[in-house]
Amino acid sequence: MTAPLLSATALTRTYAVGEERVVGVRDAALSLERGELAVLAGPSGSGKTTLLNLLGLLDRPDSGRLELLGEDVSTLDDRGRARLRREKLGFVFQSHQLVPVLSAEENVALALWIRGLPEAECRVRARAALAAVGLAGMEGRRPDAMSGGQRQRVAVARAIVGEPALVLADEPTASLDSETAARLLDLFDALHAEKGIAFLFSSHDPRIVERVPRRVRLVDGRIASDERTGGGAT
Amino acid sequence: MTLRWWRLAARNLLRHRRRTFLTGSIVVVGYVAATMTAGFVAQTFGGLKDITIRGQGGHLRVVSAEAVGKTDEEAAGLLLDDAEELTRSVATSPDVRQAMPRLSFFGLVAHGDRSVGYMGTGTVPALEKSATLAAEAVAEGTFLSDPEADEVMLGGGLARSLGVTVGGLVTVMTTTPDGGLNAVDAEVVAVLRWPIKELDDRVLFLPYAPAARLLKAEGRATSIAVTLKEGTDLERAAGALRARLHRTGTPAAVKTWIESAPFYVAVKRLYAAIFLFTGLVLATVVVLAAANTMTMSVFERTREIGTLLAIGMERGQVRRLFLAEGLLMGLAGSVAGAVASLLIRAAVNAARIELPPPPGATSGGALHVELIPLAFGVGFVLMTVTLLVASWWPARRAARLDPVEALSHV
Repeated sequence: MTAPLLSATALTRTYAVGEERVVGVRDAALSLERGELAVLAGPSGSGKTTLLNLLGLLDRPDSGRLELLGEDVSTLDDRGRARLRREKLGFVFQSHQLVPVLSAEENVALALWIRGLPEAECRVRARAALAAVGLAGMEGRRPDAMSGGQRQRVAVARAIVGEPALVLADEPTASLDSETAARLLDLFDALHAEKGIAFLFSSHDPRIVERVPRRVRLVDGRIASDERTGGGAT
Repeated sequence: MTLRWWRLAARNLLRHRRRTFLTGSIVVVGYVAATMTAGFVAQTFGGLKDITIRGQGGHLRVVSAEAVGKTDEEAAGLLLDDAEELTRSVATSPDVRQAMPRLSFFGLVAHGDRSVGYMGTGTVPALEKSATLAAEAVAEGTFLSDPEADEVMLGGGLARSLGVTVGGLVTVMTTTPDGGLNAVDAEVVAVLRWPIKELDDRVLFLPYAPAARLLKAEGRATSIAVTLKEGTDLERAAGALRARLHRTGTPAAVKTWIESAPFYVAVKRLYAAIFLFTGLVLATVVVLAAANTMTMSVFERTREIGTLLAIGMERGQVRRLFLAEGLLMGLAGSVAGAVASLLIRAAVNAARIELPPPPGATSGGALHVELIPLAFGVGFVLMTVTLLVASWWPARRAARLDPVEALSHV
């Protein structure tokens, strides 16, 4: 039997605020299959981003267990977690978070540079990733010469160029207008359908929540519901 | 680190061109200051060394074996026998350009009703003229020419104290080695402007023959002053001469010019201390300025660093990226500093700026900054290392950022 893509058991994360401890996530249990499309939904402060950070190996839980592709990552050191992030995961952030001094192609290739891949391979794969997100011909542009939607597409290209098993996207449409957001969601759909990449979103944007077949709702740091609609892809 | 990371580091430096330019300017100023100071100090040392060597009559002095460990004043009465033969023997050494016997003596010189203490040298005029400071120091009159004549050259300060000018007669008095008093009347043929004031007030030259008669030391000498050929290694030549004297059983010792120049050694130490202190101040300023720039850069790029860490960049890679930025700034600043230093040096030397006399000297000279390739090399390494040091803490801070906190940084 194949291990799930992601398996979290009783993840808890608290933060110190002054002398008090505030709960970010409490006893979260979640399993994600390969190629699945899901969203962590809930109002602001419900713990979506905290859980996404834990599942994306950006943060460590106070307690609980997390497995990625069957590997227990709870005990990994910083280097081990960085290795998994660059080889198995992709990230899209609310703001595009591109490096302003690099061109679109270089920004995408950056995800491969840090793996130490040869320059020629990085370039070919970066161009292919840009083409996959509809930005062929814009390889040489710097972020400041692109629209918000284009920048976010470059960020998506950066997330998928390494052929990750899972892309985690934190509020990816939050800074986009409706039309641009819709096109970005179409892109996620297409990438999911064509490449079989699993996507896990964190969002309270109904445009995402309504389109994604699996909705994990959080309230006050707890998973309140985990619903699936039968439609498969969005 | 591969070329693409260096390229990224270079572009990062150009994000805030003005700030990078200002910090780079501090590196340039530090580099220029270090190389120019080194050039000026080298010129000063060179000039002082030249004056010291030629003031002593040469690079080496053969003296009585008993003079070892004694000051020149203490050893003045310790004479070498058969100076003529010894001089001839020394002069045939392969490293030696010329050798000449010299007599050192002290006493009073009188003119009219005035008498002043002097520090005298009995020398061979033709050889003295070709190898020592005296020829260049003639301010009035002409250099000694007749090796037998009762003629004298006086330092400017001494001549003024006596109230005598060229053509005047003075009486040179001294104590002979056997304790008797002796005197010779001599005509002043030249007044010198000796570069060191204390000596200008005391210095007196007589030809060897009348000096030997005055001291009743015919055929003897206080020292044999030896001028070496250009480029000869001082210690090697001194060793060879010592071995030669040892082989021939001559009861004499060899002193290098530096052994008889405590003033030179002291000045060199003083300059070295000043240079070190100045260097430390400069390095501190450069470190603070560069560290400030790098820290600001880390602060401004916190979210970007968080992104890099999130997509799997290792902390070591982040640290190396920031260190590379510091290194590049150091290298670029050093290259610009080297160019600026060469241009400024050329301009300063062309301007022929007259310097006031240094303490204890009677005349200054034109400011001349020497080109010291070693200083350029050391400056390059120092500035680069300094920038690396300055970048180390900000780079460490960047590498240790928590990705979650960094990503939420506003």
